[in-house]
Amino acid sequence: MARVELKEELKDHIIEQLNLEDVKASDFVDEAPLFGEGGVGLDSIDALELIVLLEKYYQINVTNPEEGKLVFYSINSMADYIEQHRK
Amino acid sequence: MTGDKVIVNDQTVWEASPETGLTGLYKELGLEYPKFYKMDQLSQAAFLAVELLLQAAPALKESADDGVALLFANAESSSATDARFRKSYEEDRLPSPSLFVYTLPNIALGEIAIRNKWYGEHMFGFFPNFTPDFYMATSEIMLQQGSEAVIGGWLNVRDQRDVLVFVLWAAPQEGAVRLTEATLNNLMHID
Repeated sequence: MARVELKEELKDHIIEQLNLEDVKASDFVDEAPLFGEGGVGLDSIDALELIVLLEKYYQINVTNPEEGKLVFYSINSMADYIEQHRK
Repeated sequence: MTGDKVIVNDQTVWEASPETGLTGLYKELGLEYPKFYKMDQLSQAAFLAVELLLQAAPALKESADDGVALLFANAESSSATDARFRKSYEEDRLPSPSLFVYTLPNIALGEIAIRNKWYGEHMFGFFPNFTPDFYMATSEIMLQQGSEAVIGGWLNVRDQRDVLVFVLWAAPQEGAVRLTEATLNNLMHID
């Protein structure tokens, strides 16, 4: 899958998994932080849902909390991680 | 709030279609609180009921941030969400963190408190049926201990939506009636 397609698919999965009903895929800025102020403003429970998302759709387990901070920083960082670890 | 309508002070203010449900009411009220979509049905119902109560009793907004107590109860705890969470790990093999968060009914009170920045007393009880004594005895303690108002609630959503919220004031308010068992039963339309 091309990187552009992967990122679009990832945005759709995030919207569905996190019930972001007022958010559209076009609202994501690929390099912007997913958490905190700005961006789409995800919270700590959302972070857990993103771990489930990677396992559910890409069969990737994130077990190191420190690693999670980097993996879930942005759409770009998530796409990087998926490309590196997808089986 | 029943499954198909919302009544405020004996006036029907909204009628639901099966398609719209609580999300339709949220949109109808023009609210902007994206976290609403992440809540379970119990919290969504409590959240919307209190939003409507605030419209009907705006004096609540003037209370100190620790002046409003929340006193809710139901007959089903969080069993609807408990069942969904169980399905997420038994069938889907992926326990949902966001469902797990709502596997306690008093989380609904937390959602209301966060929304309104209320830091007063909270209590959530379980009873087979609507129990006026619970509200009368507990609200008396809350009001004696300094709460300016107690928001009472009965909150069932699992088999059919059956939601009531009301406000009990420490000081007399225009149009308010005295708290009695009969008053509360009348609110629930129990003869």
